Amino acid sequence: MAMILEVVDARGGRVPMRLRLDALPLTVGRGFANDVILDDPYVDARHARIALDESGALVVEDLGSVNGLVAQGTPARRVQVAVGTGAEVRVGRTLLRFRDPDEPVPPALPDLPEPVAAPEPARPSGSRWTTSVWAQLAVSAAAVGAMAGTTWLENYQRSSASEVVSAGMGFVMLGAIWAGIWAVAGRVVVQRFRFFGHFAVASAALLAAIAVTTLNQWLTFFFPDNPVSGLVEIGVGVGLAAALVAGHLSLASSMPRRRRWRAGIITGAVMLGLGGVMTLVEDEGFSDVPQFAGVLKPVGPGWIPTAPVAEFGEEAAELREQVDELAREE
Amino acid sequence: MHSPPARLRALRAALLAVVALAAAAPLVAQESPTATPTVFRRHADRVIKIQVVEAGSGAKAGIGSGFFVSGAGHVVTNYHVIAPLIHDPARYRAEMVDGRGAARRVSVLAVDVVHDLAVVHTGLRTPRHFTLGPGRAAQGDRLYSLGHPNDLGLSIVEGTYNGHLQHTLYPKIHFTGSINPGMSGGPTIDAAGRVVGINVSTSGDQVSFLVPVERATALVARALAPGYRPPARFLPEVGKQIRAYQDVYLREMFAGKTKTVELGRYRVVTEPAPFFRCWGDARRGKEQPYESVDHACSTDDYVFIAGDQMSGMVEVQHELVTTRSLNPSRFFALYSSIFQRDNTPGGDEEHVTSWRCSTRNVRNASTPLRAVLCLRRYRKVGELYDAVLKVAVLGHRDSGLVSTLTLSGVSYENVDRLSRRYLERITWR
Repeated sequence: MAMILEVVDARGGRVPMRLRLDALPLTVGRGFANDVILDDPYVDARHARIALDESGALVVEDLGSVNGLVAQGTPARRVQVAVGTGAEVRVGRTLLRFRDPDEPVPPALPDLPEPVAAPEPARPSGSRWTTSVWAQLAVSAAAVGAMAGTTWLENYQRSSASEVVSAGMGFVMLGAIWAGIWAVAGRVVVQRFRFFGHFAVASAALLAAIAVTTLNQWLTFFFPDNPVSGLVEIGVGVGLAAALVAGHLSLASSMPRRRRWRAGIITGAVMLGLGGVMTLVEDEGFSDVPQFAGVLKPVGPGWIPTAPVAEFGEEAAELREQVDELAREE
Repeated sequence: MHSPPARLRALRAALLAVVALAAAAPLVAQESPTATPTVFRRHADRVIKIQVVEAGSGAKAGIGSGFFVSGAGHVVTNYHVIAPLIHDPARYRAEMVDGRGAARRVSVLAVDVVHDLAVVHTGLRTPRHFTLGPGRAAQGDRLYSLGHPNDLGLSIVEGTYNGHLQHTLYPKIHFTGSINPGMSGGPTIDAAGRVVGINVSTSGDQVSFLVPVERATALVARALAPGYRPPARFLPEVGKQIRAYQDVYLREMFAGKTKTVELGRYRVVTEPAPFFRCWGDARRGKEQPYESVDHACSTDDYVFIAGDQMSGMVEVQHELVTTRSLNPSRFFALYSSIFQRDNTPGGDEEHVTSWRCSTRNVRNASTPLRAVLCLRRYRKVGELYDAVLKVAVLGHRDSGLVSTLTLSGVSYENVDRLSRRYLERITWR
């Protein structure tokens, strides 16, 4: 009765390979000359051997590897481990699990037009624009340019060069620190230091934030006091935070897409909750500073939607009700 | 108008904590006419000190002066002397202190907040009182002001009558003589002992102001009329008086005949009434790629309500900005920052609510405008509001005008009426 060897990624739990142990012995290692080839940088080129000992029992033997063998449930390295059904031996960061060939498997899933919760494809994620060098460069340069450009447009001093440069450099520096932290995290978790990819993710988030802020400014210019702008700001803020975290996780972890987005949305929701609490606290407090909010835009007189002055009185009446209410609250 | 003018601040400072100003300018001390000692001897016992005492600590919160106007012990003083009592009757009490230093509790009978007067009752029968009548004086007449400057004891100050001020919101006599804090509420009389006015404020250097005696005569007549009963709470009465007076002087403000001034291609209101003062300035420099011109007018006068609350102030401010070198985006960044600048009066949570604002784009007969109206309400004095209307003219790429109307302590009807008129009167050609 030949046993089944199951190769398991020790951290992700994925099973890249199953093998029937018909002919023994078998060698295990990262080198291509092995019978079982493991894609794990912590595994030696020739790491272990699976064989039968004198008594005919199945064993795994260390072939003098760097990280050795670790048997299930014991922390210590072993030179030889006897294995039976259900046993697990760790080599590097890969688990060798031994299973009974008669073990039943669940029936196949019907392949419907909507794929039902199929397991994620086991490819390392983040393989789109975030890993293309040219795309990374383009997005990063666009973000630095946008940062400098908006600073210039918001500046009305005669010499604005120093402010523009420091805004661009400021983003580069903060972005580098941010991307560096993510890249180090990625190096630890998936053994990949993708600094420029992380910088590009942060850049994309900045570009989106600038675009949405600008659009919102125009919206509130044309329609001040509209109820949508505030919601757009909150919604986009949460969405951007979620996308930012999900984007970084796609490069710095082997999480499936759904889990990345779940983490991102949780982050966004926590930020929204904190922001909401702070706004509430601020609104409760007394302030003798009125808010003349809103940005004015250079638009020809014919293009601005306006109400007649007479209608302004209705606004005033509403305000009066609000402050009368405040005065009653004491 | 961020802080009350110096003269009232000075008065209040001494009301709160009387500090002996040893180095104060000598009162008119040189060769006084022989009449002065006689005037003092004859009338000194008709003038008293009034002190407001914090009930909890028994400490003096402020002092002022007053004078008897009836044999039944009625005393006239300034509203601002007894104002803490009006706002917080549970916390403060008022006492009179006579020439011998004996203190006696007094009660407020009637107030005229607009003219800063009050009648208090001492319950002390005295034959030694002034009889109020119409004031008669000609410019240059010698007058004598009595009171307790800086709590230094009853003093007499000589000075001259210089007529009624021409452009004031509230009638005032210009008295050339040194009235100092603590003398508030004391009488200024002529050599014959007739009251001409009531000491109220000073702007220093012997320029002092009196409330014309006619206002006190009218208030005393009202307080002593048969059947008059003082209100249980004075604050609603204070609010009512302010609203009634404002309705008179604000009625025609910014209406058809209001003066206007041209700033660039914009035309805006200026000097809305004779009691406004206007000033202006222009700023241009090599360091800034734009030019700005300011023009502002405000009432030089106000009604004292309490502490830092003044009512009846109206201010208009205009700022024209133009550029030749900024592109429209950068110019509008500047324009927005000027528009968002906060130049509103401060406030205390005890007295006013937070601001609430409403923003709209509106169009008058001439131009589209961005208009923000902010409103807050007085908590204690009934139905009075502070309002700020901030307006920016829209539609031009290289010029703009930000105009602000600030109203403090006015009725809602006036906020509504004046802000609409104000919006109509900003034009572009």
